Amino acid sequence: MKTLKTISSITGIFLLGFLFLLNSGKLSAQDKLQTSPGGYHGENDFIISWKRYYTYPEWTNMMKDIQKKYPHLAKIESIGKTRMGREQYLMTITAQSTGKHIDKPAMWVDGAIHGNEVNGVTSSLYLIWYLLTRYDYDSYVHELVNNTTFYILPGLNVDAIASYVEFPNTANNPREPYRPEDNDGDGLYDEDQTEDVDGDGELSTMYIEDPKGQYKLSPDKRRFVRISDPLEDGVRYRMIGSEGFDNDGDGLINEDDIGGPDPNRNFPYGWNLQAGNPYPMSELCTRNVFEFQLAHPNIFVGFHYHNTGRLIMYQTPPDIRKNLTPEQTKEQEKQVEERLIEMRKTNKYAQLVSRRVAPEYQHDMNVQMDIVTTGARILKNYKPVLSGLSGQAPASTYYMLGAYSYLIELWGMPSFDADEDGDGRVSDEEYLKWIDLELTGEGWITPHAVKHPDLGEIWIGGTPKKHMRRTPPARYIEMEAEKNSKFVLYCASQFPKAEIAEVTVLPATSDLHWIEVIVKNDRVYPTFSDRSLKLGLAVKDQLILESSGNVTQLELIKEYNLFEPTKLGTRFKPISGKTTEFRLKGKETVVFRGLIRLDGSKGWIKVSVSSKNGGTDSKKVNISVGS
Amino acid sequence: MGFNQINSIPVLRMMFLIFLLASLQHSLAQKVPISFDAYHGYTATTKYLNDVAKAYPDITELLEIGRSTMDRPIHVLILTNKKTGTTLDAHVTLSNMRKENVQNVPKMKKHQGKPGQWISGSTHGNEYTGTEVCLYIIDKLIRGYNNNGEITTLLDKKVFYICPMVNPDGVYNSVELGIPQRYNSMKKDDDDDGRINEDGPDDINGDGIITQFRYKDTKGRYIIDDVDSRLMVRLGRNEETTSERWSVINEDIDNDSDGERGEDPEAGIDLNRNFPEVWFTDDGMQGGSGSYPTSAPETRALAEFFTNHTNILMAQNFHTSGGFTYRPLGTSPHEKLHPKDVAVYDMIMGKKYLELINEEVPQAWIYPDSLDVYKEALKKVTKNKYAIQRGYELPRGWRVSYNESDDRRYSFGMASDWMYMQYGVYATTTELWNPEKDLPDFPKLEDKDRRLQRSRALLKYQDDHYDGKYFINWKAFKHPELGEGEIGGWLPQYRRNNAFPGEPLLSVCEKHWQFELFRATLLPEVEISDVDVKVLYTTNKAQSATIQSEGDPVKVKKGKSIGKYRIVEITAKINNAGALATHIGRGSSLAGNRPDVVWLLGESNNIEFLQGTPYQKIGVLEGNKKIPGYKARPEKQATVASAPSPNYSRYRRFRRVSYDQPGKKQTGSTRTVKWLVAVEGTPDLKVVVASQKGGTKVKKISIK
Repeated sequence: MKTLKTISSITGIFLLGFLFLLNSGKLSAQDKLQTSPGGYHGENDFIISWKRYYTYPEWTNMMKDIQKKYPHLAKIESIGKTRMGREQYLMTITAQSTGKHIDKPAMWVDGAIHGNEVNGVTSSLYLIWYLLTRYDYDSYVHELVNNTTFYILPGLNVDAIASYVEFPNTANNPREPYRPEDNDGDGLYDEDQTEDVDGDGELSTMYIEDPKGQYKLSPDKRRFVRISDPLEDGVRYRMIGSEGFDNDGDGLINEDDIGGPDPNRNFPYGWNLQAGNPYPMSELCTRNVFEFQLAHPNIFVGFHYHNTGRLIMYQTPPDIRKNLTPEQTKEQEKQVEERLIEMRKTNKYAQLVSRRVAPEYQHDMNVQMDIVTTGARILKNYKPVLSGLSGQAPASTYYMLGAYSYLIELWGMPSFDADEDGDGRVSDEEYLKWIDLELTGEGWITPHAVKHPDLGEIWIGGTPKKHMRRTPPARYIEMEAEKNSKFVLYCASQFPKAEIAEVTVLPATSDLHWIEVIVKNDRVYPTFSDRSLKLGLAVKDQLILESSGNVTQLELIKEYNLFEPTKLGTRFKPISGKTTEFRLKGKETVVFRGLIRLDGSKGWIKVSVSSKNGGTDSKKVNISVGS
Repeated sequence: MGFNQINSIPVLRMMFLIFLLASLQHSLAQKVPISFDAYHGYTATTKYLNDVAKAYPDITELLEIGRSTMDRPIHVLILTNKKTGTTLDAHVTLSNMRKENVQNVPKMKKHQGKPGQWISGSTHGNEYTGTEVCLYIIDKLIRGYNNNGEITTLLDKKVFYICPMVNPDGVYNSVELGIPQRYNSMKKDDDDDGRINEDGPDDINGDGIITQFRYKDTKGRYIIDDVDSRLMVRLGRNEETTSERWSVINEDIDNDSDGERGEDPEAGIDLNRNFPEVWFTDDGMQGGSGSYPTSAPETRALAEFFTNHTNILMAQNFHTSGGFTYRPLGTSPHEKLHPKDVAVYDMIMGKKYLELINEEVPQAWIYPDSLDVYKEALKKVTKNKYAIQRGYELPRGWRVSYNESDDRRYSFGMASDWMYMQYGVYATTTELWNPEKDLPDFPKLEDKDRRLQRSRALLKYQDDHYDGKYFINWKAFKHPELGEGEIGGWLPQYRRNNAFPGEPLLSVCEKHWQFELFRATLLPEVEISDVDVKVLYTTNKAQSATIQSEGDPVKVKKGKSIGKYRIVEITAKINNAGALATHIGRGSSLAGNRPDVVWLLGESNNIEFLQGTPYQKIGVLEGNKKIPGYKARPEKQATVASAPSPNYSRYRRFRRVSYDQPGKKQTGSTRTVKWLVAVEGTPDLKVVVASQKGGTKVKKISIK
């Protein structure tokens, strides 16, 4: 009986895979690599102050300027013009030396689909700046920019964004694209917009003296407060509403403000007429985005920045629970809650939701729970919640493009330090105190008397200024942006990476040998989502077997299981033919087994894995039969 | 067969003759002559539209509403008297506007203040008979204006939006190039070889025409017809034959040498599946065509046009063929239609249509008062629950594409469903051309082998009436890839789908012009029939006064007034003189629609509203035509829940009030709108009624 000896000398060969170029040392070394957290990370290589909001010309020029400084990493283009003729500038960031952007899995980030949520612009710009300035200094950023493409559109709804920053506005307007709309059904379009009545650059609330009014001035004369006692003496005021004139003379003020449908109800998936009118993708600013996304099938994850509320709203597959009684639903929710309490004993950021999805979507569900658990950890006081459908951009990102998507509601009430009595809410007094202490009084409009052409003598004030409630005061821009950039980068770091962990050749019988290949993906994301598989967009992963001429591959039939060679049990996938198609899920290890015949005493096999999003890896094993 | 029908046939023929004579008379005075002896195709249609717009500047305007993939304009010809009509925004002066001064609201055009009718053709490029009908209708309208009273009135009061080619690329390829193309054109790589549209059909024998190539093939699925040897007969699946087998393909070679012929042509997507009505399947997957609803430039142009022209109430989308009309819905079951709309569609339009195409009108439409009897009777003979609900099965000539017996949708994302469901438009899709009816002297076909008989008869018809010039006889040709065979067959333009030019086409055009003309006469028309001005109180220097009008007393405090100062009661009577209501059954609640409104306007400083809001929402005005077979549910005669404040003075007015009319809800086709105002001096006031689909009208009032 011959003794068979296997030499499993494994050589790691780094093929075309850009993922590994860095490690292989083929790429120029990171000369400026900084390893100390106390060291310099390139912040002054391109200086941007994160302590203010920028106008549209300012921030688009910043994009152009930073691109000029990092042309090997960044590309700028306009994806189209909006209704009012503004360009929508998009930045593509990836190391051009490691491959084309379209060949790498990509992260999509857009900001401020709602024009009044301009914090999305600053957070997206910050991400651009963070990636570009740190590339040379930070090995984590370096590797991500080498391996991943970032498509960043800081301002989606640029018409409204431009107005929001430059003109007096309330926290709620302008929000929509500038399609004319007849909000009040009077036959006129956008005819009664808000105006800065007192000319102080802020839009506040108007009150008028009225003996039957419900409000009075607070003792400190900074707020209007509701009167609870109907018999109370003193001057009474009635609230008119936000600042403006009656432009069309119909007796109402600001009843038909600028803009049409909600752009985040304008995307095709789950679109409905009432919320997303007039038709899906009717707005240039949303259509340009979706057309770009369709032309870039490498988009793997999408981020959509909104304000406000500190939420991580994530898309999941549809809930398939049907016909549950309220009691059953309650019971299920109770079970989830109990499990969550248990889980949070070891991780206070643990997430779990009561949602049942079809088996073919279970992996997507697991992946999303995993990601948002870490998201809650990185973003601290942000709360993960399920995101809706109804024509929202993230729904189309997931359901039509097959990319995992997240809607981030940036910023929120400063409850973490303003809520002094710990009752879970910030009262007006607490909020004012917060303004006085944290913003040294800046940020509040004290009531003052004004002459109004339609109303006569009125009072304006008692509200916070712009960039207080929905968008953060400028000094907190960086605080929000930095942690959000880290979450985006964390997600990019979890893009799949297909690796061949081990190739083993073991003697079976006579000239037959087992080959066992362990392929793994340590990352959270699979090589493609359940949804992209369902959509028919997924490209399957491939295991490719090559060998010396004297090696023949045999078909694996059941009987060969008798020669069970390893400790890994029988859960394996057979290697069939030269190319075996499979799918590598997130955090998954797949064992392949095949059988070969070696003609002679020496030969070799080479096993490669090739994945569209997970990259390429291969290992070569020499086989020799000793005596 | 109903009585009406029997009587209507000779009448129709008479009408047809009269129209033929009339058109002969006018042809002399024709500024832009047109003939229907040949298809116009893209080039001649575009030229015709431009010529018409130039020759008739007072009643036409040519609009480019978008461009196709191949950069051809998508044209809409607006037909209306450009001197008449008004819009609300022309009368309202806005004041104290926001400093930002965003110019996002275009000024409305006069025609947008008139009830509108949309007529389009060639959504499918190879169905260009629709384009011809559009041109015929344009010709009728421009020549009828100032010559025919009915047409003159129509163009004075209504507007037609005629889009002869929704899909200009498809028409160009189908007619000019002879490559029938149902779809739009798209720059795309069907065969994934990195090249765009590189393998379409080819004229391989260089005769300037792309016909067909037939070759002997033991696996072929065609045989030569034993009656007419020019005809290739397709065998059924697994059908045995003793005759020699042939294969028939388009005249085509493998341009990109990938082993396939014609696998990457210019044809893109089906535009009539690209609209946003039920584009997704019920389980959230793609149902319609394109990468998303309105992804095609042509579809989007229409969507944008309909969004900006809320005055459209009637729409026709011409397709071919079959000689029948689809009314909505095809994407959803019947319940989604408002019962009133079902009656308007079937009992009014459908009845007229069947009469025009000379087909039997269902008994239930003739005796709509007996619908309940028909419903009972139907229960015994049909399983179609929708037919039972209605009281009749839909006839061949007037139908829905929804499969009612299997309760299954026909398709996704279709235009007329979208127009009806989302824009509140009475839209239809007419499949023009039924040779068996539209060709005079066409032989009567037996039921057996009907298709084959039809093919033989059509071939013979063109021999007899068109000197055989629509068919190229088979000629031997050696195909570079397939070897010996023959090239020949129908000229692609006449192979199927489209009415033969000349008399057959004219007869198709005439019937459908009659139908569209009929539908135009149904459009609503709001009017201010009367404004009554009553001065209740006059003073030169008002300090205070109490006026007792209807309802609560009104206290007037007028401090600074020094001019002549009066309290005036204004009563306007509004009515709808048109046949149909100012919205379809479900129309006013749709996102882009609104109920009709009446404004009382003056310069803002000289009018003070005491009772009645400056504008009042008057709901939907019914038309003056009784809708057969439809009984409105009795309206609750309760007062509006949130009635406006009776003392609606400036001091208190800036609060949310209802703009609905005060008092009892008014229904029917008329409204009485009242205001009590204080005025200074002798201002000119205006009453403006603005109905989206019923038109905008203005009446000036002077107070002496």
